[in-house]
Amino acid sequence: MDKEIDHDSSIWTEKYRPKEFSEVFGQNDIIKRVESLTKAMNIPHLLFAGPAGVGKSTLALVVVKELFKNTWRENYLELNASDERGINVVREKVKNFARTKSLGKVPFKIIFLDEADALTPEAQQALRRIMENYSSGCRFILSCNYSSKIIDPIQSRCAIFRFKLLEKKDIEKVLQKIAKNENLTMHPDVLEIIYEGSEGDCRRSINLLQSTAAISPSINPDLVSTMIANTKPKDIRVVLDYALAGDFENSREKLLDLMLKESISGQDVVKAIQKEIWNLAIEPEIKVKLTEKTGEIEFRITEGSDPFIQLQSLLASFVLAGLGKK
Amino acid sequence: MTTWAEKYRPIYFEDIRGQEEAVAKIKDFIKNFHLKKRAIILYGPTGTGKTALAYAAAKETNSEIFELNASNLRNKEKLKETLKPAIEQQALLKKGKIILIDEVDWVLGEDRGGIQELSELIEISEYPMILTANDAWTKKLTPLRKKCEIIEVKNLDYKIVKDVLIKILRKEKKFIDNKILTEIAVKTKGDLRAAINDAQTISKLSSEEQIKTLFDERNKEENILDALKKIFKLKATNETLRAFDQLDIKTDEIILWVEKNIPLEYRDEKLAKAYELLSETDIFNGRIYHQQYWRFLVYENIFLSYGMASLNKENKTNFTKYKKPTRVLKIWMNNLKIAKKKTISEKYAKHSHISIKKAMKEFPIIKQLINSNPKIPEELDLDEDEMAYLKA
Repeated sequence: MDKEIDHDSSIWTEKYRPKEFSEVFGQNDIIKRVESLTKAMNIPHLLFAGPAGVGKSTLALVVVKELFKNTWRENYLELNASDERGINVVREKVKNFARTKSLGKVPFKIIFLDEADALTPEAQQALRRIMENYSSGCRFILSCNYSSKIIDPIQSRCAIFRFKLLEKKDIEKVLQKIAKNENLTMHPDVLEIIYEGSEGDCRRSINLLQSTAAISPSINPDLVSTMIANTKPKDIRVVLDYALAGDFENSREKLLDLMLKESISGQDVVKAIQKEIWNLAIEPEIKVKLTEKTGEIEFRITEGSDPFIQLQSLLASFVLAGLGKK
Repeated sequence: MTTWAEKYRPIYFEDIRGQEEAVAKIKDFIKNFHLKKRAIILYGPTGTGKTALAYAAAKETNSEIFELNASNLRNKEKLKETLKPAIEQQALLKKGKIILIDEVDWVLGEDRGGIQELSELIEISEYPMILTANDAWTKKLTPLRKKCEIIEVKNLDYKIVKDVLIKILRKEKKFIDNKILTEIAVKTKGDLRAAINDAQTISKLSSEEQIKTLFDERNKEENILDALKKIFKLKATNETLRAFDQLDIKTDEIILWVEKNIPLEYRDEKLAKAYELLSETDIFNGRIYHQQYWRFLVYENIFLSYGMASLNKENKTNFTKYKKPTRVLKIWMNNLKIAKKKTISEKYAKHSHISIKKAMKEFPIIKQLINSNPKIPEELDLDEDEMAYLKA
């Protein structure tokens, strides 16, 4: 049996999560550079930028395990910026964590702050000060989707690593390895479908594989496609289609269902609508008008008290657009 | 005569329903008071048991309670004067003490100085302090949040509310029709105190009268339906401005009725115009909320009444069956439902190094995943309720 497999976990993303640099597929240049920094036992603050599920958290964990071996849990704090209630909570947690010195021969502890680009620029200024205040005893690894959303003073304090979307062959290697270990047979077309369905996100790919494998260990394209269709988040298009067809009541009913089921905010809905306008079969002039209205509604949501009322007003404009009117 | 809400006020932690998590955190806070923070903020909707939790904490630890609330602290300048002696250690006193500041957001709300002063007093308190508030995350409480542990008191499920009502009625040997009981429990939206009060009032009535109360509720509906006819069917006159005057309901509720019924009355251009008016009404509502400037209500009322009627070029005689607004109830029911979704996502997120938000977004696949192998719920430490939610 492979020594790197975590037999304590039944969740494959955890069971097969790489624990050493050599096990990480893809991102070869980054791995090499981070590995040499880690081996030298003196890492600067790091900034990992890149899309979801390409190995940012995994690499952070590998670094920590490599540095601290068995005591990594005591010397590692993982925070997620998009879940914390503001920068003060982050500061408080960092403070508590940094209060004690690191154990062992490494002279610092590691704080991993995931989704750092969820912080507002003001909060990032505060984060910068936190990083400075605790830099003697702590190293920060920040992760984000886009480095452009991180303020310059933080970027200049970090070594930046840009992760690429994983290629199909990388995901293939990961899935093949799991399939072999779990005694699955995979139809050759399955990989392509999983790769498309998960948009190159390795964690999603593995989750898809595991969910499908629970139905049958012999995995065929139909099975995977059904699983993807069943687990796809509902999208805004059907709401707009009803409105454009003049069925306002069904349109707003679907919108409320969507917002409640997927727990999305009015602002997120406006964003999705604004993007979807470009996929609609309507006159360019009307697209521009609708965009104008969408922008106005986005503004009104910030001014008003009930986003759903504002969204209904927007849907009413789509009803007009469906009639070819401005 | 004592009210049932008083008479059946919970005394010990075990009497408080549906707040197991908060109870555990409070116990921990009292036990480790000197090691951790000196105060907690209990926050949550009205009537869910915040004050009761504080009193139960005192009872369980055999402490006395020193309470400050909106009625005994009339003069905010006196905060320090009143509170300081209470938080200082008195050597002779054997019994413990808990300081309760009830509805801190109301007591010291608009006054930034008061909040600041309180947060300084917390620092030097020799006794555990419990603060209650509807919302712990408002800007005005920012200085307090750093000094306090923050504990959520959850909205109660209507089944718990109904269960409590049934137990009280049994002890009081009173009877309320099951349908009405459910209606009380659902309508009060998790506010147990309001539900108990409603039940007490209704229980005094004979069963015929109980049914009549239901009719009264419907009478109120008749009135709003009349008002809707005025704005949706008739041409605008100055009389229209008074369409909602006779109603005993809040503007927020009127907005919901109008919102629900616009599409039954208008199509296309008029539909868009009607929602434009409603959108403007909502903006003024937002401004009232943000600035507490209540005169804006005048504009809301004009848009809702005369504004809507101005879309009618002539009086209409057709009949429209207006519908009751259901959105708020739907949202509330959904919140109860997704509470479990959230706790499951939290557990998965922590385990798999992603954010809770992302886990919520990817919930369909996570649900499949967890259901795929009985070892996974165990690994994630899911409880029975969470499992039931996943299987449903």
